[in-house]
Amino acid sequence: MQAITLELADAKHPLYERLSSLGLPANKTEHYKHFAIKALLEQKYTLNMPKVSTPSEGEKLVIQNGVVTEFPKGVKLSFKDDFAVDIEHYDALYFLSHALTPVVIYVEVLKDAVFELEHEFTQEQTFLPYRICIKTAANTRVEVFEKFQTQGSEKSLLLYGVDAEVSADSTLCWIRDENTLDEDAAVIGTHHYDIAKQGALELKTFDFGSGLALHLYKIDLSDYAWTDASHLVLATEKARRGNVVFINHNRPYAKSVQEARTILKDEATGIFDGRIRVDHEARFSNAKQNSKAVLLSEIASMYAKPQLEIYIDELEASHGSTIGELDIDALFYLRSRGITLDEAKKMLVLAFADILIDTVGNEEAVKNIHADFEATYYK
Amino acid sequence: MMNIKNIHAKIGEKAILKGLNLELEKGKIHVIMGPNGSGKSTLSKAIVGHYDVDVTEGEILYKGQNILETTPEERALSGIFLSFQNPVEIPGVNNTYFLRTALNEKEKNEGKKETNAAQFLKLMRQHVEQLGMKPDMISRALNDGFSGGEKKRNEILQMEILQPDVIILDEIDSGLDIDALKAVSEGINRMKNGERTFLVITHYSRILDYIHPDYIHVLQDGQIIKTGGPELVKTLEAEGYQAIKKDL
Repeated sequence: MQAITLELADAKHPLYERLSSLGLPANKTEHYKHFAIKALLEQKYTLNMPKVSTPSEGEKLVIQNGVVTEFPKGVKLSFKDDFAVDIEHYDALYFLSHALTPVVIYVEVLKDAVFELEHEFTQEQTFLPYRICIKTAANTRVEVFEKFQTQGSEKSLLLYGVDAEVSADSTLCWIRDENTLDEDAAVIGTHHYDIAKQGALELKTFDFGSGLALHLYKIDLSDYAWTDASHLVLATEKARRGNVVFINHNRPYAKSVQEARTILKDEATGIFDGRIRVDHEARFSNAKQNSKAVLLSEIASMYAKPQLEIYIDELEASHGSTIGELDIDALFYLRSRGITLDEAKKMLVLAFADILIDTVGNEEAVKNIHADFEATYYK
Repeated sequence: MMNIKNIHAKIGEKAILKGLNLELEKGKIHVIMGPNGSGKSTLSKAIVGHYDVDVTEGEILYKGQNILETTPEERALSGIFLSFQNPVEIPGVNNTYFLRTALNEKEKNEGKKETNAAQFLKLMRQHVEQLGMKPDMISRALNDGFSGGEKKRNEILQMEILQPDVIILDEIDSGLDIDALKAVSEGINRMKNGERTFLVITHYSRILDYIHPDYIHVLQDGQIIKTGGPELVKTLEAEGYQAIKKDL
C-alpha cells in the first residue's frame, strides 16, 4: 500500500461527505499540529483490513491484529455493518476509520460487568484500522480495563476507536493502560462517548511510552449526565503523545471534571487540547478543567490548550493550565535527608502521577499501572 | 567536629557571609544569635549545600574533608542534618515512605542491613507517640497541610530516626506554643549523647532554658563577633546586639 490518500469525489454517504469536507489531517490541522501526522500518513504500510471472526467465549475481549479471538462471558458480541456514526465528530480520522471498517465490533452489555479489552498489534509496517462499539443497558455499571500489546509492530499505525453508548442511569468506567515502548509504532484512537440522561462516564487513561500516540475524544452529555475524565501521560525520548478531548454539555445539569497530567522526559512532546462546550440548553452545568505538565528536560515541550466555550450564564465553570519543572525546594528537601537526586526526582514525579493513578479503584490495575509507569520512566 | 574557616558567601549578588570562622566541638551545643539579616540562615544553608547560597571563599572541614565539594545528599549521608526554618510541603509523598527511603539510604551508605517496612512502622509509631504527634502523621503526605508546630515536630521526628552527628536547628522554636516547645526540646535532649554536636539558630532565649547550651556565638554582618558561655544570653537580652563589641 502507498501512502494514505483520499479519493472520495463520488461518495454520497454522509460519512464520506464529512470525511471529504474535513480532508486528511496535515501538520497544520489544529488537533494534529504537534503530532507529526504528515510523516505518519506518508509512510508505506500494508493495509490489514479487520475481519469478521468466530471468537470463543472467555474472560476478556481480545483483538489480535484486528481479529476478535475471545469475548467475555455476559456480553453479547456481534459484527454490525449498519452502525450509525456520529456525524458531528470533529476528527477526520474518526470518519476514515469508520470508512475503512464498514463492519464494526459491536458489544452489548446487558448487566453489570467487568472485563479486560486487550489489543494485540504485532505486525510490522502495517496500517490496521478497526472500531469497537459498546452499548450499556440502562441501570448497569460496566468496567472496562483496556490494555495494549504492541511488541513487533515497528513502523506500523493502529487507527482504532471506540463508540460508546452509555444508556440512562448507567455508568461506564473505562480505564486505559497504554504502555507502548516501541518508538516506531504509532497509535491513534478516535472516540465518541454518548452519555444518556443521568448516565456517567469515568474515563481514566494512562499513556506511557516513547513513540507516537494520540487519542481524540468527543464526549456528549445529556441531562444530569456527568463525566470524570482524567489523563496521565508519561512521554520519553522522541515521543509525541497526548489527548484531544472535546466535552459537550448538551442538556441541563450536566457535569464534567477533567484533569490532565503530563510528564515529559528527554525530547518528548506532550499534547493536551481540551475543550468543554456548554450549549444554550445546558443550564446549571458544572464544568471543571485542569492541565498540569512537568518538564524533566530542557528540550521537552508541552502543548496545552484548555478551552471553555460557554453559551449560557447559569453554570459553574473553571479551567487552568500550568507547565513547569519539578519544585526545586522539594527536591532540595529530599536530598538534604540523604536521598539521591535521581531518587528524589522519581519520588516527586510519582507523587505527581499518583494523584491520578490512585483514583483507580482497583488494586491490581493500580499495581499494573505503577509497574508500566516505572518501566517507561526507567527505560 | 566541624571547622568553618573564612567562609564568604552570597545569595544572588548580595554578600552575606564575610569571612566567618566557627569551630563546632564534638558533643557540645552551640547557639548562634544575631539580628535579622546577619547571615544565620545563610550559614546553615551553606553547611548543607543549599542551591541559593554561593560560597565564594573558605572551607568547611568535617570528617577530614572539605564538604563544600560534596552534594547535599553526600553531606546528609555523612551525618549532617538541618532542621529547616520553613519545611517545604510535598503533596503526594507519603511521610513514612519518605523517611524510610532516607533511613534506608543512610543504612546502605553505612553498609548496614536496611530496616524493613514492618520494623520501620514500629519505629515510626514509637517516635510519633514520644513527640506527642497525631498518629495520622504516619499516613499523611510530607508536611502537606501541617500546622507550623506539626512541621517542627516532624523535623524532630526525622532527626530522631536518622540519628545524625551534626544537627543544625534553624529557628526550631519559632511559632511554637509552650507544649510544642517542650516536646521539641525533649526531642533534642534525647539526642544528646556527648558525641553529637548541635548548632542552634534562634532569636529567643526560651528554648535555651530547656536545652542548656555550651556556647553562645553572636553573628553580625556575616561574621561571628563574639563567643561566650550561656551567660552571654543575659547580656544580649539586657543590652541588645548593638552593645556587643567584637572580640579581638
